[in-house]
Amino acid sequence: MSAGPYGALLDAVRGVRWPAARRVNGATLGAHPSQLRGNSSEFSEYRPYRQGDDPRRVDWRLLARSERAYVRLTTDRATFRTSMIVDASASMAFPHPALDKWRLAREIAVGLAAVAHAEADPVGLAIASAPPTIFAPRARRSVLLEMMRALDATKPDGSATIAPLVTSARASRIVVITDLLGDADAMLAAARLRVAAKGEVILLHVVATEEIDPPEQAVLAVDPEDPSMRRLLDGAMRTRYREQFTQWLDDMAASSRAAGIRYVRVLTDEPAPHVVRRVAGETARRGA
Amino acid sequence: MTFLAPWALAIGVVSALGVVFLHLVAQTRPAAYVLPTARFIPDQRSLVSRVAPRPRDLVLLLLRVLLLLVASAAFARPVLTPSRGTVGHIVLLDRSRVAADVAEEVRTARALVPSGAPLVLIAFDSTPTILDGTRWDSLAALKRSDARGSLTAALMAARRASVALSELVDSVQLHVVSPLSRWEFDAGTNRARASWPGAIDVQRTSLRADSATATWRMSRPIPVSDPLGPSVATMKTGVAGQVSQLSRGSLSAADTAFAHDGGTVVHWDSTMATRMAAEGLAVGDDVIVATLGRMPVPSRGRVVARWADGTPAAVEERLGSGCMRSVGVRVPTAGDLPLHPPFQRLVRGLLAPCGFTGAEVGSDSSVVAAIVGSPRALASARALRATVDHPSPLARWLLLAALLLALVELALRSRGPVEVAA
Repeated sequence: MSAGPYGALLDAVRGVRWPAARRVNGATLGAHPSQLRGNSSEFSEYRPYRQGDDPRRVDWRLLARSERAYVRLTTDRATFRTSMIVDASASMAFPHPALDKWRLAREIAVGLAAVAHAEADPVGLAIASAPPTIFAPRARRSVLLEMMRALDATKPDGSATIAPLVTSARASRIVVITDLLGDADAMLAAARLRVAAKGEVILLHVVATEEIDPPEQAVLAVDPEDPSMRRLLDGAMRTRYREQFTQWLDDMAASSRAAGIRYVRVLTDEPAPHVVRRVAGETARRGA
Repeated sequence: MTFLAPWALAIGVVSALGVVFLHLVAQTRPAAYVLPTARFIPDQRSLVSRVAPRPRDLVLLLLRVLLLLVASAAFARPVLTPSRGTVGHIVLLDRSRVAADVAEEVRTARALVPSGAPLVLIAFDSTPTILDGTRWDSLAALKRSDARGSLTAALMAARRASVALSELVDSVQLHVVSPLSRWEFDAGTNRARASWPGAIDVQRTSLRADSATATWRMSRPIPVSDPLGPSVATMKTGVAGQVSQLSRGSLSAADTAFAHDGGTVVHWDSTMATRMAAEGLAVGDDVIVATLGRMPVPSRGRVVARWADGTPAAVEERLGSGCMRSVGVRVPTAGDLPLHPPFQRLVRGLLAPCGFTGAEVGSDSSVVAAIVGSPRALASARALRATVDHPSPLARWLLLAALLLALVELALRSRGPVEVAA
């Protein structure tokens, strides 16, 4: 498999583990602790026999020693279906010409997918463009290459919506990589439903450093998704802009967390491997 | 290539300069910066200007200037191959009875016209005749006629010929080669002259010698109060040469004796009462329409004047070695008719001695100056043409090109705001 420009990234995230935040509900053998307890060799604990338990799971040696019937419990491990939803609206094509937001979003998506795929998890991809590009979660070897090609072939443009992709995602773990400048409210509402259904939603809020502190020559700002919106950015306006933007960032973080969504703010000057490790590491700490 | 409406091109150039100016002014505005979070900037007026270090969007500027220039060139009605040369010539050649030497006039006219220049040659007396101007040698046989010259008719013929000539040239020079005798002017001359939209080159030639020198006299002056007086006021009186004697009452024995001795007695009674009415009267080539009265004339003799219905108005007959003329025209004693040149010519014709062909007098310089008009002002083909040139199909293509440029300009402009390099 040729990783192309993602080779260094894949090397950097090799060995990173990304456990599920909670026990997963799956029957396919994987790397994540399962809610099911069956006959695997990984012993967990004993539990007094209850009527209806499978007699084959009774530890007969312990019965012989203690004259009490105990059932031997083991920990099963299962796969965790993970889907990346990447915002490809025009606002992600910033700043020109490097398009750091889009580049970082692609690298994060590929990096997290690689980490999940390394644990044999099925990974999928949904690119919020017009029309959207959707790959259902798969565990086959070529899935990463397909994701890379799809992301490389996409140019962020227009104002596609993310909420429908969150609703229709066929995965238990959904990673939304967006700048939240589109249908943020609808997306949060859809994510809230996924969380309520015991799904895991991770929101990676991509913010460009130029958005936090626009360059001095940015005097007349134009919204790429609404060219008619032209705002003068000078002097007092620059200060008020920073205040309002910071306030909005905080509001988004608070709203996400209140909805049970894991909110991770990502700045464009942060390397993608670092972001991947941060996302996976925090999950691991939470899982622990 | 030339343009039929160059003013449109001038407007286009001025508009293009205006666009360049506005473009440079617009460049002083701050360049647009694509910022996805622009919505967090408080809304306010965004037209504050900022001086740009150097002009930008030069392609767009070039496109707009080209658009304007091409469109204006289309509206300027371009003609790729103009069908006209530079200056055409119309020569009015006087061959009336006053011309001293028609051959001399031909030589003068030939010297006026450059070789190969478009030319219309019109010989005129009382009626104009268009000659073949390319065969100068054949004009040597052109003869003088006995008819009186009419400059009015010649000018109108020149005006008509100029319409066709204007299709070939940009401007037309009118030459008049004539002695310009006083009697070649009439009441319509000024109007005919006004119809020519340019100056007229007048080359005065010699009056015919016998015409210029042969004169006749009145035997005695006519009172100023007489309506016929102004017509002969400047003439000499006496008994030498050909003499006419006017009798305004009944004929006397002395009048008869005067006629017998070789003079001409004009019996023009002014005492007879008659009804005055609008009448047309012709004496030779001179015709007037005025309020006149008819008086009877003898039924014998040669008719020298007729009313409009053919009735004799004046007759003359030989009497001894002279002649007796009877004029049956009553002239009103009130009004300005005696001051009109046609009437004066008619009176002079009726008072002239029998058989006299007429004395011609050259026009004075003020009259000639009025004919010449503004110096060095050629009549433009535009002013002379009755029809207009048709622009070439290039105009349509230019308009199409302008439309395409407008679309490209629209596409360029709709690409969105220009990104500022971070």
